[in-house]
Amino acid sequence: MANHSTATSHADFVQHHFVDAEQQFDSAKMGMWIFLVTEILFFGGLFATYTVFRVMHPDLFAEASKELDVLWGTVNTLVLIGSSLTVAMAIKSAQLNQTRNVAINLCITIVLAFIFLMIKYFNWMHHFSLGIYPGTAYSFTGIDNPHASIFFSLYYLMTGLHGIHVIVGIGIMTWLLVKTLKGEFNSEYYTPLEIGGLYWHLVDIIWIFLYPLFYLIH
Amino acid sequence: MSSSTHHITSDKILLAVAGSLFLLTLLTAGVHFLELPQPWSIIAAMTIAVMKGSLVAMFFMGLYWDKRFNSMLLIASLAFFGLLVGYSLLDTLFRRIVIPGF
Amino acid sequence: METAEKTSNLKKIQVQRYKPEEDPKDHYLNAMKGIWSWLTTLDHKRIGVLYLCSITFFFFVGGLMALMIRTELWTPTATFIQAHTYNELFTLHGSIMIFLFLVPSVPAALGNFILPVQLGAKDVAFPRLNLLSYYLYITGAAIVICAILSGGVDTGWTFYTPYSIQTSTAVTIMTFGVFVIGFSSILTGVNFITTIHKMRAPGMTWGKISLFSWSLYATSIMQILATPVLAITLALVAMERIMGVGIFDPSLGGDPVLYQHMFWFYSHPAVYIMIVPGFGVVSEVITTFSKKHIFGYWAIALSSLSIAFISFLVWGHHMFVSGQSAMASMVFSFLTFMVGIPTGIKMFNWAATLYKGSIKLESPLLYIFGFFFLFLVGGITGIVLSTVALDVHLHDTYYVVAHFHFVMVGGMVMAFLAGLHYWWPKITGKMYNEKLARFTCGLIFIGFNVTFLPQFVMGAQGMPRRYFNYIEQFQPFHQVSTVGAYMLGLGFFIVFVYLVKSIFTGEKAPANPWGSRGLEFQVPSPVPAHNFEHIPVIVHGPYDYHKPMDEFQLGIAGSGNGHGNTVDATLKTNGKEIKAE
Repeated sequence: MANHSTATSHADFVQHHFVDAEQQFDSAKMGMWIFLVTEILFFGGLFATYTVFRVMHPDLFAEASKELDVLWGTVNTLVLIGSSLTVAMAIKSAQLNQTRNVAINLCITIVLAFIFLMIKYFNWMHHFSLGIYPGTAYSFTGIDNPHASIFFSLYYLMTGLHGIHVIVGIGIMTWLLVKTLKGEFNSEYYTPLEIGGLYWHLVDIIWIFLYPLFYLIH
Repeated sequence: MSSSTHHITSDKILLAVAGSLFLLTLLTAGVHFLELPQPWSIIAAMTIAVMKGSLVAMFFMGLYWDKRFNSMLLIASLAFFGLLVGYSLLDTLFRRIVIPGF
Repeated sequence: METAEKTSNLKKIQVQRYKPEEDPKDHYLNAMKGIWSWLTTLDHKRIGVLYLCSITFFFFVGGLMALMIRTELWTPTATFIQAHTYNELFTLHGSIMIFLFLVPSVPAALGNFILPVQLGAKDVAFPRLNLLSYYLYITGAAIVICAILSGGVDTGWTFYTPYSIQTSTAVTIMTFGVFVIGFSSILTGVNFITTIHKMRAPGMTWGKISLFSWSLYATSIMQILATPVLAITLALVAMERIMGVGIFDPSLGGDPVLYQHMFWFYSHPAVYIMIVPGFGVVSEVITTFSKKHIFGYWAIALSSLSIAFISFLVWGHHMFVSGQSAMASMVFSFLTFMVGIPTGIKMFNWAATLYKGSIKLESPLLYIFGFFFLFLVGGITGIVLSTVALDVHLHDTYYVVAHFHFVMVGGMVMAFLAGLHYWWPKITGKMYNEKLARFTCGLIFIGFNVTFLPQFVMGAQGMPRRYFNYIEQFQPFHQVSTVGAYMLGLGFFIVFVYLVKSIFTGEKAPANPWGSRGLEFQVPSPVPAHNFEHIPVIVHGPYDYHKPMDEFQLGIAGSGNGHGNTVDATLKTNGKEIKAE
């Protein structure tokens, strides 16, 4: 149970309904993990839809997957893994009071995230130019299957939702960067970095599953 | 105070995990080009993906050193996701095909 | 003494009794003044009150729609509404009642207010997230109103595909509104789980938290696991309407039964999200008004958790005639029988708690008795419906309508009213008119039965639900039901009037009007702004009626309310002051 710290008054960053910094940090982490559970179920609905359709049309999925460029998919995976590394480094730096390194790592994370989005954007533009649109706008004739648009609709929906989460993540990282430059984080208090990092790692994990499911079907 | 009780992951571990993730990514791409027959292809791909995801969860997200409850949350979410998929497949896989070719 | 302290590492703290002040001058309602202080509040109690006002408003909107539906059904053909409007009315009645009233009712309105106080905390874990939850609810509600104003929705609250993809009504806007409300629900769940884990007062082990807290814990688990799936499902419906992605619409290559799987993955746990907090209220009221320890504390606590788990395994019982495989139907039917067991355990335990208790027949307990009978009927008819062979005939008839109104209105709304009356003194500091409360409880009980019992009969005889017209043989049933609906509406209206009146002219409430051992009754009425002016120390469970009242009012001596008042605790030993490290 939380011990009431008696000798010192609350530090500035400890909110009044918490007894001490430890309770606040643990609560923030637990709250973020619970939110990540909801994100997993949110994407999970799409993964479930994907699974049902892939089981129903295995050959279609294999054939349609060939339209996706494995090289760029792999590059994007490596880019996101790199950004996860830099986020973890940023948190470690904060724990060691290395404010400059925190800022550098966050910058690299943001840059890598932008690279990811750019590659995605070019991928999508390429597909649009071939007539591969989601839903009823689909006009590509390269796949001989009446249900071909389903694969691509799922592709756009899932990578699109993931992309929205990356954009939100960039916003979060930028906000964290601003706070870092203002000197708000140190070894005593870096909670927003910790929970922002957890969000970012989940975004990475989701892509780790999207990649083989769309790009590596045989 | 609070900072002394928080685990600080060393650079060595972070870089080692990142390196493993890179290698596993290249591995899964390589396995794809081997063109294994189904279901081995999907099993291999998913196994590697699960390994990568676990590495991120355990070491980048710190579950390895964290309170057990947070790990249980992750596992519970995956279990319920499994329920959603499993039950839906219980239906779609066992339907009688009334209209052939649909 | 000093030697013992030097050699042991046990710290002694001074604990004293803090008797709650009667008729306090300062409390949460007057701590800050003005509308802005309400709209930007971080106080969980004020947020609870905001929710209470909002859900009451939507309850009456949804209720008005119900009265319009029942009035239309007075005659077998058109009475005063056209068919298309009728479809929109039952859709909106369902959606508003479920998403804007029932799902938030006990957790967001009563739970937000009471949970932290029952846990001995000063607030929930994330007060700002709490306020955000409220504003998401309001935003979602506003979007739903936009949907109503731009032509309404006629798909039924279940939004089944492919009709929901093809209809020209405002489905896209409506699903967006429900999507936003879903996130309000999710964030409340995040807040409650963290609060229950991390914010309990010293001495409050898991075995000493109230059963209401346990029920909110189970509810929050369901909320965080199920609501995201609803959110993505509705988003997919919107995407299909806008882009034609072809996931659910068979003409585009999709599977409409897949929609039902994903919709009911949320909506079945949702019905438990709606009722389980009510179960928590029942446990609180029954123990207080029989002055007895709950029979089988752990059975009830763990049955809430088992309901939370099993509720995810049974959704296909809504889909027996949808075309899903016979294999799936059999599995779902069997598991649905299982889900009745933990609820049954609760009913027996509550009855055993009442047995040989010192019963006080006051209005909260009367509402609970109403709950008992009505929920029992509702629950048993649920088991009837989970039998595949019977459901084939009863699906989409008034039997189903009666079943779910018995559990949701007869069960949940009765429990909600019980909780509202039980905690009214803590929320407002006033007592309502007890005689009127008892009379109205009876009126609601009778009105409810008159409305819904005939529906079981006509459902079994084949009267379909959501039908605008019907054949002559059902008219007497419909007419009785309509009369009942007006009685029920009158009853709810009277409750509203006397409760609101009590705020202005009611008797001042004592801190503990019911003699409860609950922690929330050991603080003044209305509750102080910071809940406690000290750190409470818990030595007994909340149902230990055999222990004296002052042992429930303990706190750390010299501790403050978290706002820098007397943070330093000093130990007094043998009259000498020793500062703690």
